[in-house]
Formats: sequence, C-alpha cells, structure tokens
Amino acid sequence: MTLQIQNLGRRVGQQWIVRQLNLQVDDGECVALVGPSGCGKSSTLRLIAGLDAVSEGEIFFDQTKVTHAMAAQRAVGMVFQSYALLPHLSVTANLELGLRVRGVRPSDRQQRIQAMLDLVQLQDRADVLPAQLSGGQRQRVALARALLRDPEVYLLDEPMSNLDAQLREELRPELRRLVLNRQKPVIHVTHDQHEAMAIADRIAVLHSGRIQQVATPAELYHHPETLFIAKFIGRPQINCLRPSNGVVCAVRPESLTFASEGIPCKLISREWLGSSQLLYLDSPQGPLRLSCSTAVDIPETIHVSWKASDEHHFDAASGIRLP
Amino acid sequence: MNRRFLIVLLLIWSLGPLFWQVYTSLCSDQALTQPFASIDHRWTLVHYRNVLTSNPPFWRYLVNSFIVGVSSTFFCLLLALPAAYALNRIPRKLSIISRLALVGAALFPYVLLFLGLLELARTFNLGNQLLALSLPYAALSQPLAILLLNSAFNDLPPELEDAAKLEGLSLFQRFRWILIPLISPATASTAILVFLFSWNEYPIALTWISDSNKLTLPVAMARIAGSSIYSVPYGAYAAATVLGSIPLVLLVLIFQKPIVSGLTSGAVKG
Repeated sequence: MTLQIQNLGRRVGQQWIVRQLNLQVDDGECVALVGPSGCGKSSTLRLIAGLDAVSEGEIFFDQTKVTHAMAAQRAVGMVFQSYALLPHLSVTANLELGLRVRGVRPSDRQQRIQAMLDLVQLQDRADVLPAQLSGGQRQRVALARALLRDPEVYLLDEPMSNLDAQLREELRPELRRLVLNRQKPVIHVTHDQHEAMAIADRIAVLHSGRIQQVATPAELYHHPETLFIAKFIGRPQINCLRPSNGVVCAVRPESLTFASEGIPCKLISREWLGSSQLLYLDSPQGPLRLSCSTAVDIPETIHVSWKASDEHHFDAASGIRLP
Repeated sequence: MNRRFLIVLLLIWSLGPLFWQVYTSLCSDQALTQPFASIDHRWTLVHYRNVLTSNPPFWRYLVNSFIVGVSSTFFCLLLALPAAYALNRIPRKLSIISRLALVGAALFPYVLLFLGLLELARTFNLGNQLLALSLPYAALSQPLAILLLNSAFNDLPPELEDAAKLEGLSLFQRFRWILIPLISPATASTAILVFLFSWNEYPIALTWISDSNKLTLPVAMARIAGSSIYSVPYGAYAAATVLGSIPLVLLVLIFQKPIVSGLTSGAVKG
C-alpha cells in the first residue's frame, strides 16, 4: 500500500489551513509531521482520514482515489491525542463496537479482542472503564482499537503528548513493535521533534499549512532547506549570527569550539546536563549557545570558532538556504 | 455553624409551605378554623377519602396528567434530541441565528398563543383528547429542551464521534451508542423540566378539555377549590395538592442519581 497525496488543500472561509501539500508514504514507512501548533499538521491528518472535506488536490490509497470517500470507507486506523475512548463502555466494549458494526460474528469478535488485548498486554484490564486506566494503558487501548480495524493506513495524532516524558520514552519501542512493524504507511503527527527523530523514517516540516521540507532526520538536521527548519529542528537551538549583506549565517551549538583566537565571548550562564553542558555566551555577533562535553574545561577568557563547513547560509529576506 | 444555619433557613423556606400543606390536609375542618381550640378529633383522613371517592375519583386526574406528561416528554425529546445535535453541525452563523430565535421563543409568553391554539384545536377536533394535549405541550417545551440538550452535545469532545466515524458507525449508530448514552444526564434533567411544565400547565388544559373524566390535575384542583361559592374546602384542596405532588417527588427521587452525576462527572474527557 502506498499513500499518495497530491497538491492537497483545505480552505475554511478565506483562509487556507493546508495548501499544496504533496507527500508519498510507502509500505512500512513512517513519516512524522512536525511543526508549531496551528501549522496544519492535525488538519492534514483529518483530511487523510476523511473527517474534513478536501478543498483541492487528491488523495490516493494505491491506485484508488479516496479524496471524497466517506471516513468509514477508507480503512484508516487513527489514534487521537485524547484517545477518544468511550467513557461509558468497558475496554472490551470499546474495542467491540467497531467490530460489531462491521458485521463480525460474536464468537470471532471475542477471539480477536482477546488476541489484541494479549498483544497490548491489557488482558487483566478487559472489563474496566477507561477512567480507571492510566494514561499509558488508555493509549494502548486506543492503539488496539486502531489495530483491530486492520487498516491500510495508520494515522497517529500526537498519540503520546498526554503522557509524561519517561512514559513516552518507554512507549516508543512499544509503538514500533505494534504499528511500525505492520508494513503499512504510518503518519505520525507530533510537536516533539525528539519523538519524530526517534520514530520516523522521514520527517515533513509544516509551516502555515505548507510542507517546507521532507527528508530523513539526518538530512533535515544537517541540510535544512529554510531558516525556519534550521531553527525548529535541533535542541539547543541553532545560533543565528547577525545578518550581513542579506545573508544569515547559522551554526549548530555543538559546532562551536573554544579556540585561542576567534570571536571573543563573555559567559552569561551555564547549564549542566550530565554528559554535556550548555553555555550561554554574549558576543559581538549576538548571543551564542555552545554545547560541549562536561569533560571540556571552560577557559578564563573565551574565544569561540567553528569550521567553515559547519556554517549554514540562508537568505535573510526569504529564509531559503543558499548554496 | 454559620453555613449550617443558612441551610436550615433555606430548608424552612422551601419545605415550610409543603409541610403546611400536609398538615392542613390532615386536619379536620373544625381544627382548621379553630387552630388553638382543643378538639378530640383533630387529625383526620377524611379529606383524602372525600377526594379519592368523588366522582370521578381523584386518581383519574393523576393518571390523566401522567399520560399527558409522559407523552409530551416523549414527543418533545424525540424532536429536541436530533434538533439539538443538528444545531451543532450546521454552519456557525446559521446556528447562532437559530439559537437566538430559540431563546426568543423560550421567552415568549405562551398565553398569547392561546387563542390561536384554541382555533387549531377546534379545526382539527383536538378538544377532549388527552394525547392531543401533549402536542402543544411538546411544542412549547421545545425551545428550552433544544437549548439545554444542545449545550450538552457541545460539551462532548468531538473526537469521540470522529473515532466512531472511522470505525464505520453510521449517524444512527453514533446516536445510539455514543451520543445518547453520554448526554443521558442532561436528557434526564430536560425530561423532568418538560414533564413539570406539562404537569403544571393550566390555561390550555382548561380550554381544550371539558369532559370531566379527562381533566388534568391543575384544572381538577381548581374545580375543587371553586366548587362552592359559600366556602373554600381547604382540607380537600390540601389533600389534592399533596396527592398531586407525590408523583413529582417520586420522579425526582428516581432521577436524582443521573441528574447529580451529570452535574459532577466531567469525566467525559477522561
């Protein structure tokens, strides 16, 4: 199965929520949609799911055009940010509802639900209401419901944003085991770039309804197409020097090194992060962030420099990468 | 301490008249007119006996009112539930205009519709038919019911329905499995309000029904009060009032749980 999106757009009133969106997701590939809130990433997902009407462009599942098909006919498995479990039904009943309306026989239903509960390791919570589950358990039920649909495409709308950081990290391998191994296209919406880099094969960065770049995490990090992406991807954030001649020069904090000569800096503050440390510096070129190993000693008088090959250049007006 | 005092005051304020009514209904006529005289036969059930053995017996009016109340509530919710849901799905502007119109309709003094309704009843031969009475009742309760249920639909997280759409549930199935169960507390409290309106309504019932076997409670009670120009039968009237309130008290007791849980749950989002 290949999910193909051509020139997709959605307009509400006079405003384009999503515009000229082109994307192809292959079998077993996971593409993360990232971007600031309100950039249209969830809207894109809703268009693919068939929950909102498409204003222009086409969506294909393999060769089949589904642009204007009903949500129910699309075989899409979606996990919502709020999980969207029915609060008045038990875990089993939540999972059973979809099977029942799709006409699966009762004995079959029981068997499939049992197998699915085994898979997500919730056998002992089968008869419990969603309110009695922990956040991580609810997420697994929501995943199980999507899996039971046996869909052609998986859409994950910030599935982990309601969980705390530690649980998120624990659930990433789980997500890989359950969804990413199914050899189906997966689109994962997140505002957490770490999550995107950890899970996705490719990342699409959205900004005000348009895709700015689709690339592997490494490519995105090392060759950002626009200044926006350079700033959005990578923490601590990239250093942007003062623009000169209409060109912005940007350098990653870990590319900066202490040198005997270079830009003179004053240390403003220091964050100790265990294996690394982050220094906030003040320089004639503006404020700089320098990230280095904690083993490195900070000199009395600081001069920083970097290799010319580590510089990224962007047009100051348009923000587009210069060769 | 202060709070307890306020609560006691509030209870006296709201329950006092009720107790007085019960007290009056149990007093003999003599005791009513001479409250401080010592009388041997102060307490009596004679008013209840009179009311229940009159022709037609009083329980007939209770049954009549109950039939009208249940059918009004049923018709009202049957229309108001889909209407309230639709109000959330139509374009925003249209929805706001419709809601304003509904508020206007809810505030409209319905007594002004009275002549028109009477004309309708005559044209369509609706007089002296209990079930016909539930038509204007359901219609008059419609604005309030739609507004209340609409805000309940509004409070539901939209993802619940989105998820169900993806699972393949049709509109009717979503109604049956998701929307109706989740707004049932709001539905219960709306139903009680509609039922109350129909239970208490007087002018329409007075003019549509003349057959004394088909009178509803308020009209029947007014007849007891005005049965003689020389005396007011306080005892009988009080007994009728007490009998008329019992079904309502029972109703609220039964539905108390969903109403209260509806107010306090907020667990929809989980």
